[in-house]
Amino acid sequence: MNTTTGARLPATLNDLFQFAMMLTIAAILTTAMTFQYYGGEIPCPLCLLQRVAMFGVCFGIILHFRHGYSARNAGVSMLFALFLLIVSVRQTLLDTYPRPGHSYIGSAVLGLHMPVWSIIIAVAVLLAFAIKIAVLGDEHLPDRRPSPALGRLARLLGLYVIAICLINFGSVILQCGAGACHTSEYKLLSSS
Amino acid sequence: MMLAVFATMSVALVAGYSGPRWFAVLSMLVCLTLSVGLFLFEVYSPEYGFHMPWLQVQLDVVPHGWSLGGHS
Repeated sequence: MNTTTGARLPATLNDLFQFAMMLTIAAILTTAMTFQYYGGEIPCPLCLLQRVAMFGVCFGIILHFRHGYSARNAGVSMLFALFLLIVSVRQTLLDTYPRPGHSYIGSAVLGLHMPVWSIIIAVAVLLAFAIKIAVLGDEHLPDRRPSPALGRLARLLGLYVIAICLINFGSVILQCGAGACHTSEYKLLSSS
Repeated sequence: MMLAVFATMSVALVAGYSGPRWFAVLSMLVCLTLSVGLFLFEVYSPEYGFHMPWLQVQLDVVPHGWSLGGHS
């Protein structure tokens, strides 16, 4: 393996890693929105904050594919993953105790409810970043742009993430208005 | 508040995709600050504070021996 190939391989693997992570998070968010719009499950405030945290992880990845590798971009993604972990752990611990009017929000997927899945997702994101940094390091990554083909795909995926964020934004306007969010109804669509 | 959180995140994503980097980062920081503030607001209960409903740290009845200093 010559020096150029040896330097390019970690950068390519890093790009694939970032792309796969954004694709996975986009799929998770799309699934959540499918449950919301087709299943009629209105998200709770903590659920919405978990979505924001997932968009935040994607924000760092979008910056990576636009400006090239920077440890700061990975730091931003990990910061939002940590926020996702804190919010989902709080919601899971809160919902563990049965109280009138309070239960796990939404339906279970493979036996686990949404906040529990969010914990798994957050730990997986943090673990993936930790393993990626441990294995690939970052000495060969700076000043390297993604390959054109992967870059184009990532730009398309980034557009999709922005689109679903804007849809969520519109949905929040309908559900919460300018006030607090409730899971009982879309505030601006209710007749009363 | 949630409206502002999603508005700033949308702006951050759009700016991160095609706008100035400093503006994207600024929007992201505003969004993160608002999100943390909203999270703390959501978990706060005037009745219970920040504690978990299944964790009780206050005794309903003080055991008899405790008032005599016999608990240690």
